[in-house]
Amino acid sequence: MTDHQVVAHPDAAVFAEFTELASDERIATAAAALERNGIRPLLAATGADARALVGSLLADGAEVYNNTSQTLEAIGVADDIERSGRYQPLRLRLYRMDREMQRRELRNLAASPDHVVGSVHALTEGGSLLIASASGSQLGPLVSGAGQVIFVIGAQKIVADVAAGMRRIYEYCYPLEDARARQAYGVPSGVNNILVINKVMTPGRITAIIVKERLGF
Amino acid sequence: MSDRITPMSMFDYDARPATPGVVLVGTRASRGAYAIRDFLSRNGYPFEWVDAGQPDAVRAVLGVAEVEPSALPLCILPDGSRLPSATVEQVAAGLGMVAAPSRSEYDLTIVGAGPAGLAAAVNAASEGLRTVVVEAVAPGGQAGTTSMIENYLGFPNGISGSELATRATVQARRFGAELLLARSLVGVSADGAGYVTELSDGTLIHGRTVLFASGVEWRRLDVPGIDDLLGAGVYYGAGPSEALACTGSRVVVVGGGNSAGQAVVRFSRYARQVTLLVRGPDLGASMSQYLIDDLTAIPNVDVRVRTEVVGVEADDRLRAVTVRSGDSTEHVGLPADALFICIGGAPRSDGAEGIGLVTNDSGYLVTGSDIANDPRASWPLPREPLPLETNLPGIFAAGDVRCGSVKRCAAAIGEGSMAVALVHRRLAEVGGD
Repeated sequence: MTDHQVVAHPDAAVFAEFTELASDERIATAAAALERNGIRPLLAATGADARALVGSLLADGAEVYNNTSQTLEAIGVADDIERSGRYQPLRLRLYRMDREMQRRELRNLAASPDHVVGSVHALTEGGSLLIASASGSQLGPLVSGAGQVIFVIGAQKIVADVAAGMRRIYEYCYPLEDARARQAYGVPSGVNNILVINKVMTPGRITAIIVKERLGF
Repeated sequence: MSDRITPMSMFDYDARPATPGVVLVGTRASRGAYAIRDFLSRNGYPFEWVDAGQPDAVRAVLGVAEVEPSALPLCILPDGSRLPSATVEQVAAGLGMVAAPSRSEYDLTIVGAGPAGLAAAVNAASEGLRTVVVEAVAPGGQAGTTSMIENYLGFPNGISGSELATRATVQARRFGAELLLARSLVGVSADGAGYVTELSDGTLIHGRTVLFASGVEWRRLDVPGIDDLLGAGVYYGAGPSEALACTGSRVVVVGGGNSAGQAVVRFSRYARQVTLLVRGPDLGASMSQYLIDDLTAIPNVDVRVRTEVVGVEADDRLRAVTVRSGDSTEHVGLPADALFICIGGAPRSDGAEGIGLVTNDSGYLVTGSDIANDPRASWPLPREPLPLETNLPGIFAAGDVRCGSVKRCAAAIGEGSMAVALVHRRLAEVGGD
């Protein structure tokens, strides 16, 4: 689905519902559920702490793809990955490729990064992760293509269940992402693909850092 | 609600850098701006090109609609700092690319980071040799600008030159090899049993052995007025930074080798029409058959054999190429927005002259048994020169710069790898740490 009409901004009630930080109790509930589902939960008090945690999880010289994420930009992780010189930033490598001659190389590299760092649009108290994407290119690596996945998740993204997560995507995230895409790329966004990760079969492959701060949307 | 879809590739969306990159403001006809575009492109730095003649685009990045012409090209670095009248050297320094050597001495100094140099770096560093590579422009050499190498072993679907260079650079660094970029070689001088290599910024590198893998540069086309148009429609090499700018335009490529053929394939994806000019009677003598087959099958490619460039027409940039075909004396104008010259090669052996390395008449470095048989070489040791060794013990040559080498990427990689085994023998000979 791609909508060429500008999407209405979330109203006050929706905004309030999906920007409120989860309580410590709900964070603990979600973290415990993640662990049961094979996803390693880590807690960070601040964005700075989360940034340091990400740094500790990535070895020097690692090949890293940073997903498009307001969260990563806000806490400096996008900058660490793309500009610090510590890693091989896959995003920059893809961007410089010849878009006519290197399509195959682009597709192969983008599909299987060693590490992906990104965020989610909702984390349920039952330990499910929801990610929406306009292009869908980032979803395959999250499911199986990437060697390791690290999510940084502001605690305002914790919702009761998958249904609430879907509402968060359509009613709150989509309008904000649409506005961002129009400004950044000159095109509308769209809830074209949604990934729900309920459980993983390789425990530890995905790490979810829950931050007790409002980060991203 | 509309169900219309905006076509978009992930290049424009999910691969776009999330953090500020380099912005370059300049004119298309500027040689300096082209030099920076080429440098950034070949070193893998994404950048945004802003045409100084487009006020809205200039205002979007600078807040004002015009830039003083004397300040062009203007480069904005990721940290926001601005470099007016920017040069490649300033941009390289501003991006933190100019590092000093970390060691006081190396086992092997490699001059050039093309396929031969990078292969040597990977092999030497992986075997524990303290290895440094110096490169004036960018890793990859001429092969790094190749759009797609389809006959390199192990890549049945081909691999682009830039991707091969990127992978090799990562591999060399992972084993601990150092790469010193953006400085050219000034010269090499004796230093005990080893050698000191001097770079253009005054950096001195002490190496127990040296490998010249400096490759070749494009041979100049001797046509009146052509040098004045460098960067303004005339380019040497495959010009990877210019491909997108050739969209819908008329491109002329000169040359009969694989580099020329690969450039034609690349530009045919963007340009309205690509004309390949070849001086010889056919392509078979110098181009791989798979490329000849590719060119034949591309509808917007026109191959003209027995044709040479005799002139150019231009105002502020190239507008047409004048050619002469066969035995005819008639000069014909060929409308052209860009001319890419991929002819032959001249060895990059300049820095080798001062220390007295023997070259052939064309400047290629003479090695191995050819040294033993060359009356100009006064070989000083009782043993014979090693196969890739020059007339100075401990200085080797590999790849395109070496006299007698096969001018193919795979052959250069083979020679670079082989050189490391010979370096070991030399190091064992001179002993010490």
